[in-house]
Amino acid sequence: MGKRPVVVISSSDDEDGGCSVSAGCNSSRTKSERSVGRKKCRRLKKASVLNRQLCKQGHKEEEANFDALLKDFYEDFHGHSMAPGERGRRQKLGSPWADSRELWVDKYRPRSLEELAVHKKKIEEVKMWLEEWVRTSKEQFCGHVLVITGQAGVGKSATINVIASQLGAEVCEWKTPTPTLWQEYIHNANSGTHYISKLEEFETFVERSTQIPTVILVTEYGKAESGDNTKYSEELVLSLERAGASKVAFNPLTFNSIKKTLSRICREEQCNVPPEWIDHIAKASGGDIRHAITSLQYFCLRPDLMLPLNLSSLSITQSRGKSEDLNEMSKLIINSDENLDYEFSLPFGRDETLTLFHALGKFLHNKRETVDCSALGRDLFTLKDRYKRFPLKMDSPERVLLQMHGQARPIADFLHENVLDFLSDEAIEDAWIVASYLSDADCLLSTSLHGQAWSPIVAGKHDPENVTQLVSASVAVRGVLFGNSHPSPSRWHAIRSPKLWQVEKLRWHNKKLMLLEKFEAYNIFSSYGMSVMATEYKPTLKRLGFRSLEDLQVCRKMTECSKMEVGVYDLLDHDEVEGGTSMESEEDEIEDW
Amino acid sequence: MAAASSSSSSANGYEIPWVEKYRPTKVADVVGNADAVSRLQVIARDGNMPNLILAGPPGTGKTTSILALAHELLGENCKEAVLELNASDDRGIDVVRNKIKMFAQKKVTLPPGQHKIIILDEADSMTSGAQQALRRTMEIYSNSTRFALACNTSSKIIEPIQSRCALVRFSRLSDQEILSRLMIVVEAEKVPYVPEGLEAIIFTADGDMRQGLNNLQATHSGFRFINQENVFKVCDQPHPLHIKSMVRNVLEGKFEDACSGLKQLYDLGYSPTDIITTLFRIIKNYDMAEYLKLEFLKETGFAHMRICDGVGSFLQLSGLLAKLSLVRETAKAF
Ligand SMILES: Nc1ncnc2c1ncn2[C@@H]1O[C@H](COP(=O)(O)OP(=O)(O)O)[C@@H](O)[C@H]1O
Ligand SMILES: [Mg+2]
Repeated sequence: MGKRPVVVISSSDDEDGGCSVSAGCNSSRTKSERSVGRKKCRRLKKASVLNRQLCKQGHKEEEANFDALLKDFYEDFHGHSMAPGERGRRQKLGSPWADSRELWVDKYRPRSLEELAVHKKKIEEVKMWLEEWVRTSKEQFCGHVLVITGQAGVGKSATINVIASQLGAEVCEWKTPTPTLWQEYIHNANSGTHYISKLEEFETFVERSTQIPTVILVTEYGKAESGDNTKYSEELVLSLERAGASKVAFNPLTFNSIKKTLSRICREEQCNVPPEWIDHIAKASGGDIRHAITSLQYFCLRPDLMLPLNLSSLSITQSRGKSEDLNEMSKLIINSDENLDYEFSLPFGRDETLTLFHALGKFLHNKRETVDCSALGRDLFTLKDRYKRFPLKMDSPERVLLQMHGQARPIADFLHENVLDFLSDEAIEDAWIVASYLSDADCLLSTSLHGQAWSPIVAGKHDPENVTQLVSASVAVRGVLFGNSHPSPSRWHAIRSPKLWQVEKLRWHNKKLMLLEKFEAYNIFSSYGMSVMATEYKPTLKRLGFRSLEDLQVCRKMTECSKMEVGVYDLLDHDEVEGGTSMESEEDEIEDW
Repeated sequence: MAAASSSSSSANGYEIPWVEKYRPTKVADVVGNADAVSRLQVIARDGNMPNLILAGPPGTGKTTSILALAHELLGENCKEAVLELNASDDRGIDVVRNKIKMFAQKKVTLPPGQHKIIILDEADSMTSGAQQALRRTMEIYSNSTRFALACNTSSKIIEPIQSRCALVRFSRLSDQEILSRLMIVVEAEKVPYVPEGLEAIIFTADGDMRQGLNNLQATHSGFRFINQENVFKVCDQPHPLHIKSMVRNVLEGKFEDACSGLKQLYDLGYSPTDIITTLFRIIKNYDMAEYLKLEFLKETGFAHMRICDGVGSFLQLSGLLAKLSLVRETAKAF
């Protein structure tokens, strides 16, 4: 190893229980070494079984020096697939079908810092960290690990790859091997290779990589939902940080940077995509550039259909939003003066909330005719005045709902959150009506929670869930439309996402933090319950003048670190029992993004 | 593969389900969802399929499109180069790991631009653990293998997988689209029909082609003639016109007529769920004042809820009619 700049990169994704740790070792290699590696790799590709065997042999030599080990890893993951960088290189070499065979996400993988759509500051942070590490000596224990978090497709791996290649370091990534199949095992056993469990392989990898800077990538997801999915990743990151890791959080990419990348790809592919479609794809991706590129590839399948469509009206409402930042997506501005009445249902785009916002705009603004010409002869009897309404200036609510592919729950919640902004200030009676219908819808929906209990006999051949969804969405929407008989005068309104479940989330978060503290305060086997923590331990700490646990920790110094780790592991186990995740899955979820 | 059961009607003895017999084998034959279908056709021609998620309600041609696409794309390699797993297969983590891995590693010689295809039907019923394992596989083998997932709601697919796929939305088929397909089948099978009969089929299909074809076949094999009467008998659905007249009676203040209509249906043996489901669909489309519709839907929703909770008595249904009448009384100007 000597004086070479070496960087350990390990990436961890976590999701349900598992954390996927992928570690890459960057070791600088000579060019000739690399090309040898590549040739080998091609040959190996032809017979993947053979290749695996080779890796195994590599691992067998326990006394192998680190370089050899790196090489093994290198081969190992090339055996399964080509490393991202490798793919890029192959393409440059001009492989004959590189063009038609590749996914655009692979083909247009960023190769320079400029091409990277990630925010400059974040790139800089990561780069600084790596450079710092290369500069200072390995003795420095802290700052050995960098954690990068962010949702799927925000360029976590890409950033590492690009920066590493800038630094002249090579990324050696831990990609969880798929498990050994029985036939494979037999084959290996016959040819004299010892079986090494995947877990062992990983442990060896981690052991060897302690000398090299390590980057752990954590993919966060499911934030929008109950918060259940995020608990593992949050815990993981938290414990890593407490153990001294640095952390960089990647945000969803901005609309502009996604747009720039998409335009570049369009230029290189020479497909002439109208700018408003690029805009739209960028917006619908929710800050996920991989999805944006994949959508673009799909979109470009049909260049003949690239008419402007009625997107013009769509882009009006959206570009009016002052903030270009996709983080602000949930606050999409809707202008009430704009005529929102256009048919539209996009065939693709990941973020379903976009279409949700359009439908919400219609429902909340509640545009109506000013004279009721049609209904005069229609009704069998006349209604009391307070039950009369002018006809709606839109399709029937059920049709709009159908077009937006939405579930009833988010619709009801969004309406509940926002409807008051759209009522005129004095119309307290309207608010009563709206609230009462929304609560009816809520009640109807709650039955679908215990939907599993429906016996097939009662349900017959109909799907009761389906009717429930439709009815409650109808009641919520129509309740808002009917109730809001004095819509507030046209003005700008931001649509907020529902706060309804935030208390739940917060509660969970606090509970989790307290669990951690509990483990630290007592030992793991303590039988003190949560209530003791909340009513005695924490207040006492407060009185003693500790502002937070952090203060306490400072006093405790390094020894605490190891203790805490034990606590966290235990915590994970504990959660596993609750969540019913199998041991197996935890092992398997170790992977890169 | 579904393609095997082509439209040769030489099935003597037992009848092949028409949904299978008339399952389109070419992407171009899939009706509706024009945008999606035309793009899939381009893929069928040019290859290099991106990973796809097809999302939409049942019976709109998701599975059909994928199968047809795979078939057109891979031709005679289809058997070799396509792995199809649906909800009836066990798709736990182990299967994703082993079956899919084995398939992905398998060497199949394909022309340039083509990839092996793994089809995961009803992917939203996969556990999130299995989806986790899947997303790895997707990336590792992306140079040789592509994935097509079909599901009803894309939100049940974990984000990291959504991130790796283009989302193709399918929506309910229009009555016209269903009719066009029904006509093809009706002609091929020489089914005697009256137009109102097909209309009834379309009503019962409710945008679901599978339902439509099944009902057509059931009516045909039961009665050899497609008219309204037969269709609703076979489909075991209360006749929508009957229910509609119940609603009209309520609106006209003829409560007793409405009740006797209900009694008739109940005596015919329709289950409360059948009745309430049809009632909901009728009210949804009935032309009545906004307030009335809102209240009617609400009351129907609550009645449905109670019935689903097990209170499926005749009393509930009569109670519902009474409540609807009360709504009318409340709203009516004197
Ligand atoms: N768009 C369509 N065009 C033609 N036939 C269709 C279409 N959609 C469904 N069908 C018919 O219905 C049957 C079920 O369709 P399928 O594709 O399995 O629906 P799903 O969307 O639930 O996967 C098919 O066998 C086919 O005969
Ligand atoms: Mg299907």
